[in-house]
Amino acid sequence: MVHNTIDMCGRKGGGVCRTASPFAQPDRHTARLVSTFRIIAIILLPLVIFITIAESGVFRSRNEAPGQPIDFSHKIHAGNYQISCLYCHTNARRSPVAGVPSVQRCMGCHTITAADRPEVRKLKGYWDRQEPIPWIKIFGQPDFVAFSHVAHVRAHVACEECHGPVETMDRVHKAVDLTMDRCLGCHRDRQASIDCVTCHK
Amino acid sequence: MNRRDFFKLLGFGGAATLTGCSSQAPEGLIPYLVPVEEIIPGQATWYATICRECPAGCGMLVKTLEGRAVKVEGNPDHPVNRGRLCGRGQAALQGLYNPDRIRQPLLKDASGQFKPLSWHDAEGWLAVRLKELRAHRQEIVWLTPHLTGALDQLIDRWLRAFGSQRRLRYEPFAYEAIKAANKLLFGLEAIPTYDLQSSQLIFSFGSDFLDTWISPVMYSREFAAMRTCEAGHMGRFIFIGPRRSLTAANADRWVSVSPGSEGIMAAGMVRVIIAEGIDRGVPKGEIERIKDLVDRYTPHLISQTTGVTPADLEGLARLFAKADPGLALSGGAAESGRYATATVAAVNLLNYVTGNIGRTVRFSPLSSLNRLSSHRDLVALIQAMNDGEISALFLSEVNPVFSLPRSAGFEQALDKVPLVVSCGSFMDETTAKATLVLPTHTPLESWGDDESWEGLYGLMQPAMEPVFGTKPLGDLMLSLAKRSSNSRAAAFTEESFYEVLRNRWRKLHQRVRPETEFETFWSEALQRGGVFQETHPRRISLNLGGLAKAFQGLQALARPDNLTLLLYPSINHFDGRGANRPWLQELPDPLTQLTWDSWLEIHPEDAQRLAISEGDLLKVQSPYDEIELPAHLSAGVRRGTVAAPVGQGHTAYGRYADPHNPNAVGFGEKRRGGNPFALLPFEPEAGSGGLLLSTPVTLTNTGVKYPLASVSGSARQHDRGIAQAISPAQLRPGEPKPNTQHPTPEARQMYPPHEHPVHRWGMAIDLNACTGCSACVVACYAENNIPVVGKEQVAMGREMSWIRIERFEEGPADRPGTRFIPMLCQHCDNAPCEPVCPVYATLHNSEGLNIQVYNRCVGTRYCSNNCPYKVRRFNWFTYPWPEPLHLQLNPDVTVRESGVMEKCTFCVQRITAGKAKAKDEGRPIRDGEIEPACAQTCPTNAIVFGDLKDPTSAVSRLSHNPRRYRVLEHLNTQPAITYLKKIIPANGEVSSLEFRGTGSTHNELNT
Repeated sequence: MVHNTIDMCGRKGGGVCRTASPFAQPDRHTARLVSTFRIIAIILLPLVIFITIAESGVFRSRNEAPGQPIDFSHKIHAGNYQISCLYCHTNARRSPVAGVPSVQRCMGCHTITAADRPEVRKLKGYWDRQEPIPWIKIFGQPDFVAFSHVAHVRAHVACEECHGPVETMDRVHKAVDLTMDRCLGCHRDRQASIDCVTCHK
Repeated sequence: MNRRDFFKLLGFGGAATLTGCSSQAPEGLIPYLVPVEEIIPGQATWYATICRECPAGCGMLVKTLEGRAVKVEGNPDHPVNRGRLCGRGQAALQGLYNPDRIRQPLLKDASGQFKPLSWHDAEGWLAVRLKELRAHRQEIVWLTPHLTGALDQLIDRWLRAFGSQRRLRYEPFAYEAIKAANKLLFGLEAIPTYDLQSSQLIFSFGSDFLDTWISPVMYSREFAAMRTCEAGHMGRFIFIGPRRSLTAANADRWVSVSPGSEGIMAAGMVRVIIAEGIDRGVPKGEIERIKDLVDRYTPHLISQTTGVTPADLEGLARLFAKADPGLALSGGAAESGRYATATVAAVNLLNYVTGNIGRTVRFSPLSSLNRLSSHRDLVALIQAMNDGEISALFLSEVNPVFSLPRSAGFEQALDKVPLVVSCGSFMDETTAKATLVLPTHTPLESWGDDESWEGLYGLMQPAMEPVFGTKPLGDLMLSLAKRSSNSRAAAFTEESFYEVLRNRWRKLHQRVRPETEFETFWSEALQRGGVFQETHPRRISLNLGGLAKAFQGLQALARPDNLTLLLYPSINHFDGRGANRPWLQELPDPLTQLTWDSWLEIHPEDAQRLAISEGDLLKVQSPYDEIELPAHLSAGVRRGTVAAPVGQGHTAYGRYADPHNPNAVGFGEKRRGGNPFALLPFEPEAGSGGLLLSTPVTLTNTGVKYPLASVSGSARQHDRGIAQAISPAQLRPGEPKPNTQHPTPEARQMYPPHEHPVHRWGMAIDLNACTGCSACVVACYAENNIPVVGKEQVAMGREMSWIRIERFEEGPADRPGTRFIPMLCQHCDNAPCEPVCPVYATLHNSEGLNIQVYNRCVGTRYCSNNCPYKVRRFNWFTYPWPEPLHLQLNPDVTVRESGVMEKCTFCVQRITAGKAKAKDEGRPIRDGEIEPACAQTCPTNAIVFGDLKDPTSAVSRLSHNPRRYRVLEHLNTQPAITYLKKIIPANGEVSSLEFRGTGSTHNELNT
């Protein structure tokens, strides 16, 4: 998989380049597929069972909170200081994509505010080097889903309804399962459209 | 554990493995350092520019998302194309993102291999050479394609600074004969404005104005406007020529004449008109002179040479004289044969004696194509190269090694030039012979301007940052001039080409709008795509002396003993420059329905005589060269004539054009027909210096079968009534409307009827407007991330296009009429595909769309089997987009993977966006606001989309048009697409210009 590097907001539309040759002979293709399955099924069976159990949530939490390049705390910003979500994620009210704030926006406050803290120094490091911060994406939808932030902000859906109580989290994790079931439940409750193409593209 | 439990676990384990795999690797979320003012992520930004895929100079809008271009559309403000684009224009994106673009400068070493080097070194190397050339006062030549505006001026200025002035604007199709004939007859070496729209009758002597001739998007629009039934009148169109081109296929009548006899046909008609005194406004004194000149073109002589009977010729002449106004055009083979200038002169004279000069043929505004170099200039250049007069040759985006006849010897002459520098985006046959290759920006990355017609000043701006480390040609020239510093080169004080451009536009500003601030003028021009001015009419008069000179030697070509080969520019690849765009390779040629290939069209009777059958690989020998081409049997060429499209047969142009490229994809078997340009004679036409596009050939069957990939099943409709037609007489109110379909049974439904509470989207397609140009097909590829599958897959019927142009033949087998019909998902109200889907992946939605949910589809293909229109496409594989072609993908449309069914969605992403916009602005959706990609680009506005629930919408009105019908209606599918029957005059009606159609209801007939 090759991710599009130009796409600044993590949309999958940049496209995925896959390597399977469309010009291969179908029968050879099938044969290869069968042998692959055999290897997976027989040799890797114990591993498979382990992953299955692990995936079932017995051993660990379903929603991980990956370490970010800067230990940014939503709890401090959105919780303690009550900064509105849309102050930093501005595009949510005018675009399908909420996006993340530019480094310039972070520096707008942090040139002075808490400039001596180690994490803020890291931020300044990125700014001084003129490097964007390689955040790790927590929330996302698959390529076949078209989700629009602006439509939901306009319909007065609160951010936490999908993103969970982010303002209580030092390190953000996916506290809410963004499944189709959840989308549909909410759409039904609010009498929003449940037509397939409202969300599927 | 018993066997059964083992399998259960195995199945469970397999499923779990897949679940495990689906958890994605961490994805980055990269912010801007400083937000870009023009970009809101997720919102499109549009930039106006000019299309440079051919010399027509259409206005173009580029849609960019997060800084990358994803779609191009016509610029509605540009007078040439008014918002529409052809298929080649749509494919401009695949030039920008072409995986075969040259990425850094290349210098040929002693072993003849290209070695990459840095820009600094490359420019340094070249600057040293330029200094030497200047010191020794040696000649430098620039060879560019059709160029106008600031870059054109800069090149001239640059050459002067180096003490040279030889400069060629080279296009293989340069309309030399039109210019020469106009010079002789009217004293103006120019290409005039042809007004198709106001004509009552068009005679085209070989001019393929709907294919590639001069400005096909503009002429398509005007032609369709002429053919609407507005005010109860529909213009007639008769094509005279040896081959049924796309343009000829749209004619009411195709008069087949032998190649080279178009001129005497026109002269014969002039003779009839003068003899019968039905001319219009010709002064008495001139009549006698004209009469003398055309006296020998008797109907008898013409009938002997062309096979057109005297009565027919007289009928045609009388008809043309009656048209008020008419328009006679000459082009294609007529304009590039041995008597090209005389032929065009005869056609001009036909226009003159019927009073069309000044009415439908106007010498204002003139096309800037009149500045093109002629083929004769190229031949002279080759001579100079061979004589060692040329010390350095600079080439930019031209490929003469490919597009000049091999007998011209350009390739050999290149070896005599010590320094050959190629500035362009692609490796091609000519660039491969260069010493130094300097990769430049594509037009979508460049600043520039374009003056396609007098008064139309188009402005080009970069739509995105350069994809690779290329440089703009203008900047490169400035930098070279400065680095090879000499006193005169120091006159280049501009920092960049952008400054050169702005300085030129400052002068334009002073001329056209001095009252405004320059910055205002500039930014308005950038937004609009240029400044468009009306021009003043020019008065011209006939020069009788010139006329006599032009007519010298006009006679029909002696019929050769062997076959005559006729070459024509391909609608997909033009002169070959479109051959490395995968969309254009996969796009079927509208007439032959063939993909990925070149071919030789031969009449079935000739084929039988020579024991040739479809797909035989033939050795084609002209007096100059020989190539191999597969045979395609077609009644669309005259007996004794064979025809081949140019554009294919590349040997060094990238993976989609050249089967021998190391990365070649899509060809299947590694063989492809040769380059037909090679066969042509190099001698220019005597009168105009133009390139001759025909030559006598002999054919030898090699006995090898060559697989041609055709998308056509049968050329005949077999009484299915798919593409229907109606005659003007039948359209009159009260006349019975014929139905060539099976009777429609009483509608029966197993399921409750669908409800469409708010909208019901529908489409109307006017077959009388559709010319079959296939622009819609390419637009759909671009908009909907449709993969290209390659020749072998196409041959297996696995092409993925969501919309296709079906071509049907009607009438006698030797002279069939042609009908085109765009076929796409009909979004049936009672869709046969829906009830057979076991997983509910395809269903009818509340707005009348038949939708396909990709993530639900399991690939049973039942839906496709049950679709009577055969518009569903199955992903047999996950098809690749070689980098960086994937940057073009539309993020609003899913990229499908193998095992999934897909089809036309009516561009649901555009519907969603249109609804969201209307909702944001608190208003209902406006009719015409939502346009699928196909309808948006259609040059003739044949496709209309809208809401059937709104009785005032254009699509609702059209769906009550007396010409309406729905394809395969008797199957009770209840399609959402209404087709309007093509209006085909019955035999007697072609020769009548009367069409008093439906009287008061004529507005409904308008499209």
